[in-house]
Amino acid sequence: MQETIKPPVEVRYQEELEALRKADEEQGNKKPDNWLMSPKAVRTFILGSDKPIRYKRKTCQIRKKYFGNDALVERCIVTLAGSRGLMLVGEPGTAKTMLSELLSAAISGNSKNTIQGTAGTTEDMIKYSWNYALLLAKGPSREALVPAPLYIGMEKGILTRFEEITRTPAEIQDSLISVLSDKVLNVPELGDDGFLFARPGFNVIGTANTRDKGVNEMSSALKRRFNFETVMPVNKVSLEKQIILNEVRMLAEESHVDMKADEDVAELLASTYHELREGVSSYGHRIDRPNAVMSTAEAVSVYYQTMLTGYYYGDGHLDVECLVQNLVGAISKEDRDDLEKVKGYFNTVVRAKSDKEGGLWRQYYEARKWLK
Amino acid sequence: METILRSAEMAEIMLVPVRHHSPACSCHIRKVIAQWRPDAVLVEGPDNANALLPIMVHEDTRAPFAIYYAYHDKAKKISDEQEYYKCYYPFLDYSPELTALREADKNMTYVSFIDLSYGDILAASAKKLAEEEAPRSYNDDYLLAHNSYLQMLCEKTGLRSFDEFWEKYFEINGMYEDSGSWFSHLSTYCALARENTPEEALQREGCLAREQHMAARIALQALRGSGAGIFPGEKKMQRILVVTGGFHTPGLQEYLSDARWEETVRHAKNIAHYVPGTDESVYLMPYSMESADALNGYASGMPFAGFYQKVWEGIDRQSQNPYGEAVLDFLVSAGKAVRKDDGALSTYDEICAWQMAQGLCSLRGKPQPGAYELQDAVLASYVKGECDLSSDMPVRALRRLMTGTGSGALCARADVPPIVLDFQNQCRVFGIRTDSTLEKEVVLSIFSSRKHRGMSMLFHRLNFLHTDFAKRLKGPNLQLRIDRSLIREIWKYKHSAQVSAALIDVSVHGATIEEAAVSLVQEQLLQDQKADSAALLLTQVFEMGISGQLEQVYERVHTLILQDMDFYSNADALRYLMMMEKLGTLYGSDLAFDALLHTSVRKLITLLPGIAQMSDDALDAGMDALKLLYQLTGKRGPQYADEREDFYAALVRMQEDVQIHAGLNGCIHGILYGGGREDAKAVNAVSQGYLTGTKDQLLKTAVFFRGLFFAARDLILMERGMLEGIDAFLGQVDEEEFMELLPQLRMAFAYFTPAETDKIAKRAAGLHRRTGQELMARAEVLPDWYAYGKELDRYARGYLYRAQDL
Repeated sequence: MQETIKPPVEVRYQEELEALRKADEEQGNKKPDNWLMSPKAVRTFILGSDKPIRYKRKTCQIRKKYFGNDALVERCIVTLAGSRGLMLVGEPGTAKTMLSELLSAAISGNSKNTIQGTAGTTEDMIKYSWNYALLLAKGPSREALVPAPLYIGMEKGILTRFEEITRTPAEIQDSLISVLSDKVLNVPELGDDGFLFARPGFNVIGTANTRDKGVNEMSSALKRRFNFETVMPVNKVSLEKQIILNEVRMLAEESHVDMKADEDVAELLASTYHELREGVSSYGHRIDRPNAVMSTAEAVSVYYQTMLTGYYYGDGHLDVECLVQNLVGAISKEDRDDLEKVKGYFNTVVRAKSDKEGGLWRQYYEARKWLK
Repeated sequence: METILRSAEMAEIMLVPVRHHSPACSCHIRKVIAQWRPDAVLVEGPDNANALLPIMVHEDTRAPFAIYYAYHDKAKKISDEQEYYKCYYPFLDYSPELTALREADKNMTYVSFIDLSYGDILAASAKKLAEEEAPRSYNDDYLLAHNSYLQMLCEKTGLRSFDEFWEKYFEINGMYEDSGSWFSHLSTYCALARENTPEEALQREGCLAREQHMAARIALQALRGSGAGIFPGEKKMQRILVVTGGFHTPGLQEYLSDARWEETVRHAKNIAHYVPGTDESVYLMPYSMESADALNGYASGMPFAGFYQKVWEGIDRQSQNPYGEAVLDFLVSAGKAVRKDDGALSTYDEICAWQMAQGLCSLRGKPQPGAYELQDAVLASYVKGECDLSSDMPVRALRRLMTGTGSGALCARADVPPIVLDFQNQCRVFGIRTDSTLEKEVVLSIFSSRKHRGMSMLFHRLNFLHTDFAKRLKGPNLQLRIDRSLIREIWKYKHSAQVSAALIDVSVHGATIEEAAVSLVQEQLLQDQKADSAALLLTQVFEMGISGQLEQVYERVHTLILQDMDFYSNADALRYLMMMEKLGTLYGSDLAFDALLHTSVRKLITLLPGIAQMSDDALDAGMDALKLLYQLTGKRGPQYADEREDFYAALVRMQEDVQIHAGLNGCIHGILYGGGREDAKAVNAVSQGYLTGTKDQLLKTAVFFRGLFFAARDLILMERGMLEGIDAFLGQVDEEEFMELLPQLRMAFAYFTPAETDKIAKRAAGLHRRTGQELMARAEVLPDWYAYGKELDRYARGYLYRAQDL
């Protein structure tokens, strides 16, 4: 049995990372100071490669981990090699956090140096705080200082991740400004020794959710210190299906759920999410869009729940009725009107597809009784 | 590069594949011509444009320019509709075909176009044209860009599009290759692309017919002086260079192969045309970068004409880093554009963008950053916050710059098409200056001076042809039905190369401005399906003074009035017709509108009952239409007696609809009252019905009054009960409802003159035993009262504080 529910990226992909680092060394690829691998290898780690790498006498296949926009990943890597921070913005569930973890694991070998932004985040959670017993005993000294992720990042020359930055109050966000521009953190209590100059390799990856826009709007001074990348939802059903399958397979493997993922069901769910998000079906029907977040991550969760139900309570198969029940649970979180919209979707699009394509779509249409 | 040598007596042929707008390709063509020194350069391009070649390579001719082809299908070779067709073949400085022509001209080499003419291409692919739109661009690079092979290629290489793929492998990397391997890569790629294009697509696009024709032309040149009986006595050519779109090269190779050589020679000896040459015309016209940009319309080669022009200029001055320089240049220009717009971009942003472009270039394994790195750099470094419509201005600014704004010019020797000549003649006759590009203003007394009316007609016609030559600043506007009392028009006009280009663009429709306008009016008439748009067109015909066309438009408006079932569109058409009837003499028209008006009125009366349950938005239009019908049927005397009766009958029928819109109902009662079909008491009874109805109906009273006063505002002054009703109504609604109704009430009372409003106010005050003055007067507040109030306040506050302490 594994020891953690979700191991960090650098543990989960340890072998791939090591193989890439070795290949990098063999090829003599250039890498920025303190980076564990070259930008090209980081790209390969995230976007995958057809060519397997020989490592420890076996072949190591680098899988594609991020789908949708390869150019965006390339821009992210180049941004992190430069002097500006990287800010990933987008709708919830568009894999911003995953991308930031992958980047940190590849570049610094550590995706855990993270600040989790909340309404209660304070400056000492970002920069540093004190061990008060030592502070009283020895006075202000490096020993008594408890470094927070920003401090650690600067000291070690690694990436600091700042999740949900717009959830934190504006004055706390602004404490990043001087660090990002001057790359120096001043600890006044330590006097002349209180200047921490960032080591090469340090940078910040922030993520912000566009649904939180306006809650704590970032100041333009802070915005100027970042390159922004807008992460869009996946715009192809085939790609969304692939993501659902990949994620579900990985989740199942981690939970030792020995059950095969059904590709047709994944496609059904991917179409549903895609069409409800876009507001138009593949047949051209206009659809009312629900207010709930229709992200791929939500689709993965609906699929995985259905899979678990089938595994523990059912006959080891994915049940379409159960899928619809989980879909209801996922969609009618915020607004009951959303359920009406999904009903409308079933009565128009799913019905049309059931008539034309039959099979799974018919079962799906028949399961509409659970939409309540 | 491979060449084809069929026999020692014949010339050696080199087939060079090109992509239509490609700097790298141009660069290599130049090298190939310098090295191989051909005797003849044959270029893909309609062979009826050969006369234009000296103009195209003239030193005063500046790219971008385009060959404009027009074909009028008089011979019904394409369809029975005898339609007009036109297309452009744009050339930029870095178009390989133009480079080949220019280089050949420099070396005094024989040059010729070898493709089918536009009309022939259309006729060759005629079967399919009935179902699809005719191609508007001569270029066919889209064949290279849309096939299954390519989609796989882009996915495999992780590139976003064909253009990005092309730029990386053929443009930027191509700079470092020798010409032989560059063209051989292109040939391989084209052959694969062609293999993955279905035969039907080739047939449909007319590719096969074109290739056969081109092969025949090549064979003709190759056989020159070879003793084959073609061009007897002519000197043999040693080397022939053939420059065609890469997609056609495999096709040409096949036609020139052993297997099909005989067939090609037979064809060459008997070259036939599908359409009569007299129905086709070919001109050169100045073109703009904007039109040449593939993304702005038809896929006519590579996108970003402005960007690649910059790159080409770099290549031309033998820069080692033309792409990098162009990227930096565009980053700075885009930065400037952003600062001009909102000013929030620093030099540091530009530095970061440049670093991004360089970083991406090395990550993507390119020797120099290109258009896609440039776009990525701007997206990453210039856009602050989430990239959406409100923040992507830098990306849009860059896009505009990359498209480019330059336009070309033709040398003085260029042929002038008849329509441009007609324009110049008319300008000379009217003394309109076309020798300067400065804007000039003229004031035209259109109804008192024949010359001025003539000028006005010319300006209107030119506007109708979208030439952008003249702009009317003031004057009667028949389309908007405003300023009809003005007797003068003020125009500003400005001549530019674009005017000639626009005229050439419509030259397919006729040899003179009038002919083109007439032909376009006819075309538009067939498209118009609504009575109002056809009537609107009639007003334009009126202004343009195309008298010969009035009858036809008149007939079409008549048909459309009968066909169109939309009440509002018919009502609008009626308004235009009434206006034109009034203005007919002024504009010199002797058309009798009576029959048309009669039809229109009858149609409207028939459609009337259908609008009873209209939406709130349509109320104004509906009331206007009712008033119009009332006036028209009332004023015109006995000839409209039947219509008047039918109109009243229709109104009565509408009233019977209990769901009728309250505003419309008010208006109908007003009209019936005005026409003496209903007395004031009856109207009052209806308003009482709303007043005493349920809450929802009560709230509709305001809009009912609005309709009523629109048609018969004297009612309130004549019928005393009406005012009392309104007074009672206002007493019944609470403040919140009153605020909700206020806009409608304001509109209802807006129809009264100030004197009438005063009178109504006096009577309303009388109902409450007050006078008007009393209502307006405000009682004076004495200073002592203020002092007293203040004291009282102070005392109360003190008292309360004390009570609290206790």
